[in-house]
Amino acid sequence: MSASTPKTLCTSGQQSIQDICHPLSAEESVRTPSPDVGNTTGSIGEKDLSLPNGTPVDTSSPASSSSLLNRLQLDDDLDGETRDLFVTVDDPKKHVSTMETYITYRVSTKTTRVEFDLPEYSVRRRYQDFDWLRIKLEDTQPTHLIPPLPEKFVMKGVVDRFSEEFVETRRKALDKFLKRVADHPVLSFNEHFNVFLSAKDLNAYKKQGLALLTKMGESVKYVTGGYKLRGRPLEFAAMGDYLDVFTQKLGTIDRIAQRIIKEQSEYLVELREYGPVYSSWAGFEGPLQEPLEGVAGCVANCAGALDELTEDMSDDFLPVLREYVLYIESMKTVLKKRDNVQAEYEAKLEAVAFRKEERTAPPTDVEKCQDRVECFNADLKADWDRWQNNKRQDFRQLLTGMADRNIQYYEKCLSAWESIIPLLQDRPENTKTETS
Amino acid sequence: MMADTGSDEVAVIGNIDLTPGEIENNMKNTQKSEKGPVLFRKMEINVAEAEKRTVKNAVNMQEIYTVYLIETRPADAASEGTNSTPDSLWRRYSEFEILRNFLLVTYPFVVVPPLPEKRAEFVWHKLTADNMDPDFVERRRVGLENFLLRVASHPTLSTDNIFFSFLTEENGWKEMVFETGFQAKADSRLKALNATFRVKNPDKRFAEMKHYGDELQSVISQLLRVRARVADRLYGVYKVHGNYGRVFSEWSAIEKEMGDGLQSAGHHMDAYAASVDDILEEEEHYADQLKEYLFYTEALRAVCRKHELIQYELEMAAQDLTTKKQQQEELATGTVRTFSLKGMTSKLFGQETPEQREAKMKVLEGQIQEGEDSLKEQNTECDVFVKSAWSDIERFKDQKNHDLKEALISYAIMQISMCKKGIQVWTNAKECFNKM
Repeated sequence: MSASTPKTLCTSGQQSIQDICHPLSAEESVRTPSPDVGNTTGSIGEKDLSLPNGTPVDTSSPASSSSLLNRLQLDDDLDGETRDLFVTVDDPKKHVSTMETYITYRVSTKTTRVEFDLPEYSVRRRYQDFDWLRIKLEDTQPTHLIPPLPEKFVMKGVVDRFSEEFVETRRKALDKFLKRVADHPVLSFNEHFNVFLSAKDLNAYKKQGLALLTKMGESVKYVTGGYKLRGRPLEFAAMGDYLDVFTQKLGTIDRIAQRIIKEQSEYLVELREYGPVYSSWAGFEGPLQEPLEGVAGCVANCAGALDELTEDMSDDFLPVLREYVLYIESMKTVLKKRDNVQAEYEAKLEAVAFRKEERTAPPTDVEKCQDRVECFNADLKADWDRWQNNKRQDFRQLLTGMADRNIQYYEKCLSAWESIIPLLQDRPENTKTETS
Repeated sequence: MMADTGSDEVAVIGNIDLTPGEIENNMKNTQKSEKGPVLFRKMEINVAEAEKRTVKNAVNMQEIYTVYLIETRPADAASEGTNSTPDSLWRRYSEFEILRNFLLVTYPFVVVPPLPEKRAEFVWHKLTADNMDPDFVERRRVGLENFLLRVASHPTLSTDNIFFSFLTEENGWKEMVFETGFQAKADSRLKALNATFRVKNPDKRFAEMKHYGDELQSVISQLLRVRARVADRLYGVYKVHGNYGRVFSEWSAIEKEMGDGLQSAGHHMDAYAASVDDILEEEEHYADQLKEYLFYTEALRAVCRKHELIQYELEMAAQDLTTKKQQQEELATGTVRTFSLKGMTSKLFGQETPEQREAKMKVLEGQIQEGEDSLKEQNTECDVFVKSAWSDIERFKDQKNHDLKEALISYAIMQISMCKKGIQVWTNAKECFNKM
């Protein structure tokens, strides 16, 4: 899935600003000629479907429940071989310029979808670009749950943004983000996602998109104020409750994991002092020298294994937990939006009821609202089920990973101690060995 | 109840069923048998129980102390299958101390086995330093039994009558031991141990041994200190995992399919957290083994110091004799080489009469003769001491090498067991996670 991270990040080195090739256009493999940026911008104009508030919507996501159900069924088949879109994030590289230093990642795509011009793509993207994509997805697919990105800002003094561990952690999270989008039956067909995966010069496209948005003139955000929700359907209320408790539990688990890492680190400090005492003892013993050195070596091995365990937990376990907290925040936001849409509908319905004029056919305005509510509810339900499923898999993987690492730690220690037993017993005069 | 063993210090089990004739036979047999750990071979010794007693002390206040039950039984009774009930008596720790002090004074050339610590030291935080704590009492019981077995298996100490009576005569033992007058010797011994004097020709072997003892004491102290901290930290690591148990349980309440797996995994986390108590209790045994040798270093040091003292006294006696001989020579030849007030005054106030000189010479001759005899005796004593002390030191060295190696082996085995338990728990947890 992911290529191995190079030990030291290659940098493009210090160069004068004129000489620096644009990283996004550099190092492209010959087999993937850059598609014309113009093509992708052109396709946006072809869209005629838009959400009631005017924001452009991906064409392949019809806002009706039935086709969504179709997609869901398709989704079941998408596991494994029937998937037609594979995305990977790897190969982080450092780019140093006089203006700034940043990391780019290689985004590789393999697909048989007709929506893509080519079967394979390889582009370089930086965090900014992922962030942009996410915002676009949120704007264009407001009824859907968008996967989270790793934290944008890091405290400059506290975290080394260019350390191997940080970059690798981030890479994994970005990879997960794209995979989640790629696996989503609706989001994966999003135009912006397509461009993100395929465009040589994303910046140019971004600028176009911005212009387009201002042309549309409509605010990207959903209406937030003014409408009060009358009655939240039970299932969505249940979702909200679940998310509240789940967030709490995740927070607790995060704290426990951090505490364990801390305790293990302190244990490690003592172990590192413990082993050498045996060594210094061995220094003035005769026949006991080898056994004592053996024990010192063992303790050192265990300390090394513990170090690895702690590092792994820090690098792999904690970030995934935190990512899920972000995911839950997104989910809660979507739930709120849904509430707002419903509230708007209810308010409009009420207004009509007061007017008492035409009872025969409800005004198209109210109809549109009703459509919107139903559409949102359906999308959300589908996404919720998907999210639950993914959550289950993700946590199964996360926790078995934690168990695995602990097992490996104990296995390393076990083999260290077992290996010195023959050394300790290796004395001809010692015929009987008492076990405690 | 016990037969009088006479002056030969051969320990015989006085069975009240034996006739006086048989007892005498036993004694003869034992005398015929080789010198060696006579008592150990003939007697089974057990410190079986501990009990609390109360007594009113000098200021009429209730004092609680612990007594230990010493059981003894003829070793062959067990092998013959006769289920004879052991003889037993109660002793408290202070009585053990008296016994040991007696042995220290009576056998200064022996590295006398140490008692278990008076107060709990090198404790990690969960262990109380409370002498009344049942775990401490239990470990002390084991330590006292170990002490008795060590004495009983010592070629010299095992033949001691006071030791034998300690095991067999509850009443009157204290009086018996104080009647030996060892207390006075004990005080002077302590003084000598702490005195500073310089030996002109130190015995290299003993000097090296003393140095070794000091180094061993220092390194074991350090080891015990660090080990206590390691135990503390390990405890922390394990116990925090118990929090996973609780949070998994809470989390499982809001989950459907994941619930069972989480719940059972949580139980395994609880088991993991609980397992550290047994692990550390077992490790305490290792600490006790180290402590025994820590205290042994004091006994070793005492023997070396005793040798130094004997050597010093020998040198002083030789010096004294030389001085007297010089005085004799001066008297004979009339030359004054050594300053003496009498010599000065006689010079100033006239020579002494030949009769006076004659008298002086006679006195000196007597003194010299005494001195030479005494020096000879001291020399012999010193030789005997050196021989027996060194032989015991060699015995101690072998015992130490054997015991410490065994201790390291059992420590390694403990670690192996701990690793295996860890693997088991995490494997179980992993299975539960897989079922999520």
